[in-house]
Amino acid sequence: MRAIRNIFRRKLRSALTIFGISIGVFALIVMGAMAEKINLLVDGGLKYYGDKVSVSDKMSGNLNIQPLSIKKIDEINEVDGVKAAFPNVFMMLDPDQTVALGTPKMIVAGDPEADKYESFKANTIEGRLIEKGDRGVAVVGSDLVKDLKAEVGKDIKVHNKKFKVVGLLEKTLTAPDSCVMLSLEDAQELFAKSLPPAIRQSVKPKDLVTSIVVYPEKGVDPEKLAKRINKEVKDVNASGPESFKKMTKQATMIFNFIMFGIGAISLLVGGLSVMNTMIMSISERTREIGIKKAIGASFARIMREFISEAALIGALGGLIGIGIGSLVIAAANSGTAQKGVVLFLLTPRLEIGALIFAMFLGVIAGLYPAWRAARMKPVEALRYE
Amino acid sequence: MPAKTTIAAKTTKTAIITAENVHKKYRLGRNNFVHALRGVNLEIDEGEFVAFMGPSGSGKSTLLHVLGCLDNIDEGTISINGSNVTHMSGSQLTKLRASQLGFVFQGYNLISVLTALENVSLAVEYASKISRKDRVKMSREALEKVGLGDRAKHKSSELSGGEQQRVAIARALVNNPRIILADEPTGNLDSQTSEEIMAMMRELNKRTGQTFVIVTHDPDVGKECDRIIRIKEPPTSIMSPEARKNRGVQPGSVEGATSISPG
Repeated sequence: MRAIRNIFRRKLRSALTIFGISIGVFALIVMGAMAEKINLLVDGGLKYYGDKVSVSDKMSGNLNIQPLSIKKIDEINEVDGVKAAFPNVFMMLDPDQTVALGTPKMIVAGDPEADKYESFKANTIEGRLIEKGDRGVAVVGSDLVKDLKAEVGKDIKVHNKKFKVVGLLEKTLTAPDSCVMLSLEDAQELFAKSLPPAIRQSVKPKDLVTSIVVYPEKGVDPEKLAKRINKEVKDVNASGPESFKKMTKQATMIFNFIMFGIGAISLLVGGLSVMNTMIMSISERTREIGIKKAIGASFARIMREFISEAALIGALGGLIGIGIGSLVIAAANSGTAQKGVVLFLLTPRLEIGALIFAMFLGVIAGLYPAWRAARMKPVEALRYE
Repeated sequence: MPAKTTIAAKTTKTAIITAENVHKKYRLGRNNFVHALRGVNLEIDEGEFVAFMGPSGSGKSTLLHVLGCLDNIDEGTISINGSNVTHMSGSQLTKLRASQLGFVFQGYNLISVLTALENVSLAVEYASKISRKDRVKMSREALEKVGLGDRAKHKSSELSGGEQQRVAIARALVNNPRIILADEPTGNLDSQTSEEIMAMMRELNKRTGQTFVIVTHDPDVGKECDRIIRIKEPPTSIMSPEARKNRGVQPGSVEGATSISPG
């Protein structure tokens, strides 16, 4: 290909320009892979919360989980449009954890009966899930297997209590990866123990839940049902899919903003350096352009020649950037995998997107220099020394 | 008023190039022009082998450039092969150059990174939508015509001056244009190579009936031609007396039209 030969007429200069684009694309890929991982988490959450209403205590916050009485289930069942309601216990696996990179490690427990209504199916790669009547057993999410040294048939410690592992969950790249599933009764006891002594003495563990999951009747909008529950049941906060969307929107917005910022900077820096390279090579090749025009090269033809060179510079930079990015991501992921955390997700659409972006950048940056070359008067270009 | 000389067609043959009252000025500064062509009238017949001769700066290259549609004119009319090119658009001129005209330059003007074959086939590529295979075939044939069939894969930087000029001639010939314009084609060559190149062009002219217009200041080259169009006086630039003095122009001299006489 002639464009390749033309680029490598000035090896160092082209290499530097290509490297400049590589850095931009590299940054884009790394940030993008982080965003993709977060997107997947958000999508998983949206799917999970999409068809149900989640009810918690009015005072409960994101990381501040307040007890809710199991008796609220009966009240909720009275509300029009409720098909079924089940107790859940969600609590931190590590009580001291306040901030989490990715999803926090959680203890999760629910009523196995709820699986009949649940659209999200957890699968085990080994062993089994929690069943009705289980006590003292645990199912471990994929990211926590290494951390807890979990093996089917062996014991793990959760909140200083021994549990026998009966199953390991399949990797989903979403929230269940960092969960330990217990039976509802075990989780209720652990939760009761975590409460301040004053409250602990006044309640029975089996009356305590942290949230109630509500499945609406067919055709009932979960959003409207959440509003009805809030109106008819006292001291609870029912939220439909919208509130999860709203919550995640903020977090993803910041991320998208960073992505956009990096994209814009690489666009600017990479684009300017491609433009610079092209302008230099066009002024070096003025005479050549004159010759080509004299022997019959059209405006479009010269445009195409130089734009394809610029696009090629962009594409090569893109490929190298993606290559380096993939290596760094693989290294970072294998580093954090020890702790059971996957921070980056390199998707094909991200790689293809970054490559197209880099080529597009080259084309845009090449437009002006190519236009300058194409509109040269043949006789002036020929006279140029 | 500049003098004007018109040479009518010598025979009944049809004129392939005609220029009527062609003026060309170059702007050097804000109020500083060179009036390079002052009302040129000429006709060149199909199949002629013509030389433009004259001192340096007389405007002979400029004339060749405007006849070759490489540069626009300020006044007058130019017709190539019966079509008036004066008001043609850039892309029409490009097509005309690609299909009807071939150029040979003093400095060969090959693209140094390409091989001889690639240099020639570039001209085919620009002129028409011919398959790569046929392009290569045509280019090889053109190179064989100039006796360089065995050097096709060499880069132009690996060829001697004479060889490079042959490649340039092959490039000018490859699309079978009606007219070949050569600007000092032997200017960079030694006398023996010059003779070879001239003999070759003459031979091609006889064989194919293509029209050759050659700019030269070498009388030996001129002798080879059917006709010499002499361009006598250098153009006078309209410039400050100071600048004129520096350039050795007599203060009173504003004559200096492009005039033509038969060879």
